[in-house]
Amino acid sequence: MLQDPFVEDSFSRFPSQSNIYGLCQAGQQELLAATLKGKVVCFRYQELQHKVRPVAKEVQFTYIPVDAEIVSIDAFIKSPPNRGLVVGITFVKDSGDKATPFLNIYCDYEPGSEFNLDSIAQSCLNLELQFTPFQLYHTEVQCHDGGRETVFLLSGHDQRIHLYKENASLHQFEEQPVEKLFPELQHLPSNVLWLDVLSISGERRLSAFGCQNGCVGLALVDQTQREVLQNWRFQFDSPVSTVKLFPLSCQNKQGEKSVEIESYNLLVTSTIEMAVVYRDVQDRGLSTLVCLSESDQWDAVLCSLVIDLDFDEQKEVLLGTYGQELLCYKFQPAVNGGGDGQFQLQWRRSFKSPLLSIIYLDLTGDGLRELAVLTLKGLHILQHSLTCTSDLVLERLAHRVSVLTDRSEPESDEAPNTEQTSTAVETEEILSN
Amino acid sequence: MRALNYVHRVSLDFTGTLFPHAICLGDADNDSLNELVVGDTSGKLLVYKNDDSKPWITRTCVGTLTCVAVGDVCNKGKNFVVAVGAEGWFHLFDLTAASANKSDSSSQHEFMSSDDQRPLFTQHIPANTKVILISDIDGDGRCELVVGYTDRVVRAFRWEEPCDGPDLGSGQLVLLKKWLLEGQVDSLSVNPGPEGLPELMVSQPGCGYAILLCSWTQQDSNSGEEAPATPGSEGPSRDVVLHLTTGRIHNKNVSTHLIGSISKGSKEESSKCGLFALCTLDGTLKLMDSSEQLLWSVQVDHQLFALQKLDVTGDGREEVVACAWDGQTYIIDHNRTVVRFQFDENVNAFCAGQYTCKEGKNSPCLVYVSFNHKIYVYWKVGLEHMESTNLFRVLEDKPEFKSYLKALGVDSEDPAATRALVSDLLYKDSQL
Repeated sequence: MLQDPFVEDSFSRFPSQSNIYGLCQAGQQELLAATLKGKVVCFRYQELQHKVRPVAKEVQFTYIPVDAEIVSIDAFIKSPPNRGLVVGITFVKDSGDKATPFLNIYCDYEPGSEFNLDSIAQSCLNLELQFTPFQLYHTEVQCHDGGRETVFLLSGHDQRIHLYKENASLHQFEEQPVEKLFPELQHLPSNVLWLDVLSISGERRLSAFGCQNGCVGLALVDQTQREVLQNWRFQFDSPVSTVKLFPLSCQNKQGEKSVEIESYNLLVTSTIEMAVVYRDVQDRGLSTLVCLSESDQWDAVLCSLVIDLDFDEQKEVLLGTYGQELLCYKFQPAVNGGGDGQFQLQWRRSFKSPLLSIIYLDLTGDGLRELAVLTLKGLHILQHSLTCTSDLVLERLAHRVSVLTDRSEPESDEAPNTEQTSTAVETEEILSN
Repeated sequence: MRALNYVHRVSLDFTGTLFPHAICLGDADNDSLNELVVGDTSGKLLVYKNDDSKPWITRTCVGTLTCVAVGDVCNKGKNFVVAVGAEGWFHLFDLTAASANKSDSSSQHEFMSSDDQRPLFTQHIPANTKVILISDIDGDGRCELVVGYTDRVVRAFRWEEPCDGPDLGSGQLVLLKKWLLEGQVDSLSVNPGPEGLPELMVSQPGCGYAILLCSWTQQDSNSGEEAPATPGSEGPSRDVVLHLTTGRIHNKNVSTHLIGSISKGSKEESSKCGLFALCTLDGTLKLMDSSEQLLWSVQVDHQLFALQKLDVTGDGREEVVACAWDGQTYIIDHNRTVVRFQFDENVNAFCAGQYTCKEGKNSPCLVYVSFNHKIYVYWKVGLEHMESTNLFRVLEDKPEFKSYLKALGVDSEDPAATRALVSDLLYKDSQL
């Protein structure tokens, strides 16, 4: 098995544990992590006196009572032309006899402070919920006027998904019927634990959800007509922890030429069974699946991520387990074009406590992304080995420069050649003399 | 402060209890790979090898072992294992042969005669031992044995044997000198002085230290003259030069540890004006050189009880490693960059150094003895950098990077443009 390419750069211990919905990216270079006891930690790298330092600071989000237990957190940057960061936090306030769930949406409309986390944390919209919240998710939708807008989708224990959309005139978020924008997300079979939406070509989108009762739903939807084109369901034997839609390009040899085919795939991780990837879902639905062997060996898979880790333009599948392991699978195309290829376990890395959530983002602001791993005890930041990556960057830079000079070369190439021939002629002349 | 987690560890079985100085890393069997040597309070000496959870070799000593060490104490050009008990019994073991026996057959040791199990040599030295050091303390190129006692005494011994002696059996330890100090001695160390000669240093309470003078060398060179190097001391017989470091010391009786000869990277630099570090139980850490210049001082809120040195970055410069009773471990480099690691249990004893755990070669390791019958060896503790850094810092050091940027028309002073370029080079979907 290969060695994992990461080096741990920092670890921040949290005062209380988090959960699988407890980590989100807020802005370009910051992370927000929510802990059970109502504390939200902002993690980023601070550049001070030419030094990079990891900083984990608690952000005082207003209107979160002391006896609140945070369930989920999510954040997004508003779709242009709107500006600003929106943070959503769901929590349950347990005042003894009755537990009341809430959704707080934080957003600052004051010009200049739309991205200032401290001032955003002070402007809150407090919504009481009629259901226990689960995953808070955001996605972009198309409006009637052709513009784009990002909305919150919140799944609950009432077997429904709730949509929260900004009312531009009132400058606040409000719940709107989900079926208007997401016809595929009504009449759900069970409580949804994880939801994923991916826009694909032809103004279409793929929506996938995984339920507590093991049901996985997938739909292909026309975004402009808001019409479900196709719908698939599959029943697993155990709760589905995550579903992830992702494109995967692979070289397919067709005769002499190798054609790169990009297809959409669905990763489904379950708490007991092996994780599986459904291939070419936009064409084949949930009919063709590949198992991720050994993924059930380290207790339940709690989180997953599909990213390109080794800079080869092909995505790898990362799984984080309750058994304190991070697993990396790489797609191996089938030899001779037969079959569908398979995912092979490339490496695994052990942690000191169960893994809850993983995000891949550029925290250090150098163009290279870091892997943030939330575990039961705190937040680990894993960085690619800088010596290896810098060599790769230099190699690719050299290649790019050579391509550039090759293109501008032809004219300059001529000159030295003519010079050489002329000197050759001269020497000949001298010799003849 | 940067903190991180080490996860690659092996656990070794250890059922006894031990004194904090009864653990060390060293090449006990002269195979150039280091072993872990542990002595427990019942007199058992255990030697662990590789990642085997059971001891490779077990030996029985007389009394309660308080300190163990590995070194060329007999000046034979090979290492011996030394175990000293509180009652004053000095045990010398030669494990080179044991290594050969082991390799013959793994079941061989069960039939080994009791003769092989016995120490090569034992001698009774004054009791109440606390800490030992095997090192050249007088600069003659030969090792001495220094023993620190719980009654504030330090004694130096030398292994001597008759010139025509047939084997080790005829040699013995000869007392060279006894020093009496004002405070408890928690560590012994040797550090190159400003002139490059080794100085024997002992820690003194309240973040202090004392340099013990080896007067026998002066007697050799200028016999009859009055010893000039002991100004301020009460009498030439004491030969103790006490240094109290300045700074905020809350408790002048606080227990203090010391480690010297911290490598500066190159041999020439390290050989003169050596670096040493001090730590106290109330959380003061200092790095100084032998001209008494303070390089840095760090205050932490953990009770530091062990101080070691270890090169974790592999650049030849050794970092200072301090461990607290609650498992908090600090790794600090010469520029005062701190990396923290929390070992999740209370610590009975701690040591750091090179150990052959995996892959058949020495690697930097942290060794924690817990209170639940386990010794944990963290065998993958190396770091690329002590401080958090990013790709730009690494690329800036490469001259070709700037020229490439120039060729591509990217301003190297513009972080946003450089970031976009790097991101584009590495990722297909390069939007951030």
